[in-house]
Amino acid sequence: MEPGGDVALDIIVSNVVAVFRVRCHLNLRTIALEGLNVIYKPEFGKVLMKLRKPKITASIWSSGKIICTGATSEEDAKLGARRLARVLQKLGFKVRFSDFKVVNVLAVCSLPFQIRLIQFAKNNRPIASYEPELHPAVSYRIKHLRATIQIFSTGSITVTGPSVQNVATAVEQIYPLLFECGRALR
Amino acid sequence: MSPRVCKTCGGTDIDVDQSRGNAVCTSCGSVLEDNIIVSEVTFVESGGGGVSACGQFVSSDGSGYGATPNFGGDFHAGTGKESRAQTLQNAKRHINQLGHQLQMNKHCLDTAFNFYKMALCKHLTRGRKSTHVIAACLYLVCRTEGTPHMLLDLSDILQVNVYVLGRTFLVLARELCINAPAIDPCLYIPRFAQLLEFGEKNHEVSMTALRLLQRMKRDWMHTGRRPSGLCGAALLVSARMHDFCRTVKEVISVVKVCEATLRKRLTEFGDTPTSAMTIEQFMKADLEKGDECDPPAFTEGKRRERLKELEVKLSKKLDDMEDEVFSFQDEIDQELESSRPKGRYASNSQSSVQSDKGEEPEEEAELREAARVLALRQLTPSGEGEEDEEEEEEQEQEQATPRRRPSVAALLGPLPTAASLGLQDSIDRCLGDEKENQDDATSESGELDLNGIDDEEIELYLLNDKEVKIKTALWLQQNADYLKEQKEKEERIAKEKELGIYKEKKSRKASRRYPPIRANSADEAIEKMLEQKKISLKINYDVLKDLNIHTHTHTPEKATPTDTRKPTSTASPSSGRRTSLTPHTHISSLGKRLRPLVSAHPVKRLALDELVPGGVLPVGVPVAMPTPVVVVESGPVAYGEDPDEEEDEEEDQHCVSAMEMLGGSGYGCDDDDEGY
Repeated sequence: MEPGGDVALDIIVSNVVAVFRVRCHLNLRTIALEGLNVIYKPEFGKVLMKLRKPKITASIWSSGKIICTGATSEEDAKLGARRLARVLQKLGFKVRFSDFKVVNVLAVCSLPFQIRLIQFAKNNRPIASYEPELHPAVSYRIKHLRATIQIFSTGSITVTGPSVQNVATAVEQIYPLLFECGRALR
Repeated sequence: MSPRVCKTCGGTDIDVDQSRGNAVCTSCGSVLEDNIIVSEVTFVESGGGGVSACGQFVSSDGSGYGATPNFGGDFHAGTGKESRAQTLQNAKRHINQLGHQLQMNKHCLDTAFNFYKMALCKHLTRGRKSTHVIAACLYLVCRTEGTPHMLLDLSDILQVNVYVLGRTFLVLARELCINAPAIDPCLYIPRFAQLLEFGEKNHEVSMTALRLLQRMKRDWMHTGRRPSGLCGAALLVSARMHDFCRTVKEVISVVKVCEATLRKRLTEFGDTPTSAMTIEQFMKADLEKGDECDPPAFTEGKRRERLKELEVKLSKKLDDMEDEVFSFQDEIDQELESSRPKGRYASNSQSSVQSDKGEEPEEEAELREAARVLALRQLTPSGEGEEDEEEEEEQEQEQATPRRRPSVAALLGPLPTAASLGLQDSIDRCLGDEKENQDDATSESGELDLNGIDDEEIELYLLNDKEVKIKTALWLQQNADYLKEQKEKEERIAKEKELGIYKEKKSRKASRRYPPIRANSADEAIEKMLEQKKISLKINYDVLKDLNIHTHTHTPEKATPTDTRKPTSTASPSSGRRTSLTPHTHISSLGKRLRPLVSAHPVKRLALDELVPGGVLPVGVPVAMPTPVVVVESGPVAYGEDPDEEEDEEEDQHCVSAMEMLGGSGYGCDDDDEGY
């Protein structure tokens, strides 16, 4: 009924979250005092370090675990992570870059048509959940992909999933369902 | 009744007579049962001669006095049932309470209770506040029945965040596989209309509001919006249509949305073509016909997109235009010095012809307005100031309608600035991309792959010494409070450590550390341990000590008979020193359950006794010493052995005393008392 791959939908990845470990204990105070672009919050026990090149914010814990957010692609995230590890290395810690894992990817996509949310929610009863009192979008969860899609009536959708591939697959899966309840191609 | 067989003749034909209460075999005539228990309604004569039925009313859900009879059966099973019944009872009470506040009818409340029972079976109540679960059950009923209750009402009554309730509700709906139909704003109209007190015209106003809502639905105003907001807007408009002056404030107090939302809805409605119709037209119009409008958010988005596209195109063209712009700037200055209004008007007309992008009429109108204002302003001569104002004004207009062709001298002024602002970001981005070294090779061995990482750049991220000092000072200053707290805490801990009362908060194991006990045998060790560890705080052990001294002389003779019996049950009513307690006492004082453990000891004792026939003392003593169990010799006790025996006796005495003191009415205690 409608071509899956031919439609050139722009899936824009807006955020990639990754975690990795440096396998050594870090002294947060040292990092806080000798690093540029750091925010130290002793109450929370972590240091926020922001990098400019791949625009990344990293939360660094003293145990050596680091969460890296704000990247726009998986490669970016990895590069940023490695840069961060290099900075820590220069500060004098014996870092070993290990266990890098992309945890979450957030992508936005704009469909060229509007969507009848109520009809869509009715068609996909248990999987889709629509509560206009709480949130203006329909939330659709694809269990086997572990992806969540939020669908707005204007046709823009946001997809979150564990990897970029998953996200792309999720969009492909949901497109035909959305097309059925679409209003008009404008 | 299952076919019963007569015991005497084996016949199966048995006649049961309910009135007599007999069961008789018809073949041989033997009575098999007499006084059968019947379960019929019995009547009792009351005082005035009236007759009433026996029995009590029990409520249908199994709660209440006498509903759960426990015929002295297993307590374990009984308590389990009670707990569940108790939970259900509580839930029912809460549901009814909440339901009455919302004026829900009994049928709804019963359904809600059923939902709760289902949730309980699926263990959905665990980890959630019971009030939340109950509220969610009620709201589920509201949705399935279609009552005009909002989640907001429930949260108002409970003073709980709406979204928290909503989350619970969603979980419940999903787990119970109940498909709650979508909220229709039309449901709320009658309720709000009543609250707004339209009097006799209530019905008419409601109908009008409903029509408005239908139109709104077609115009895509209602997707993704709270139904209450739409209702509010519809009611407000319909009230005005029927000459009721309901202010916005009144409406929002009823509908529970904020003023901004209501105004926005009204504006959106104003944008639809329906708003242009007169009242009569609207009432007669066929709502199904006509174009549907786009959802307001959609139009907004589209507009922003268009603007963005234009800006991008503009910035792309900027490199070419820059030179032109500069030249035009000079021209502007010149023109400004020369005759002002005419020049501008002339350029206006020129520009409207030359501009490519659409929305010309808008541009022209804006230009004309700007020109008018400028003409007014030129009365106050301040060349540059005017120019700036112009630029500002036109900058604002520029935002709305960016132009590609900087053909107008005066209007060109702001162009470069606006564009250059937009350009900055894109230039940064471009430069950033160029510098960026994308590297895909990775090494997972834990070593850092330095490919693509510019060391120099990394160096930038580290501060040099001087900077470090400055930063240290700043940071210490900022976080002074926190550091002070930490210091105080440490000092406190150090002090406590010195005093020896420091108690580690985090260690959950035995907090008290006793000095290591050094003892020759296990018995001694246990005694010493028991010395340290106090069994009960409620016993005045000094008194016990005193009492022990009196009975001490009696014990040696009576020691032996007690041995053969249970070891723990040496029933001297007197109490001895708490200190020397045997393993027996220790266990016995813990409780009856551990008694079987203790029985191990007498076996040993007896064996040892047998080994030492006739109670030869010198032999007995060395035998007794190494063994973990202290053996009490039968026969005359040598003076030398007193300490041991004393220990034993005291221990035995302590056994009893401790137990008695602790109130343990042990099984063997009484016996031993007698025995003693």
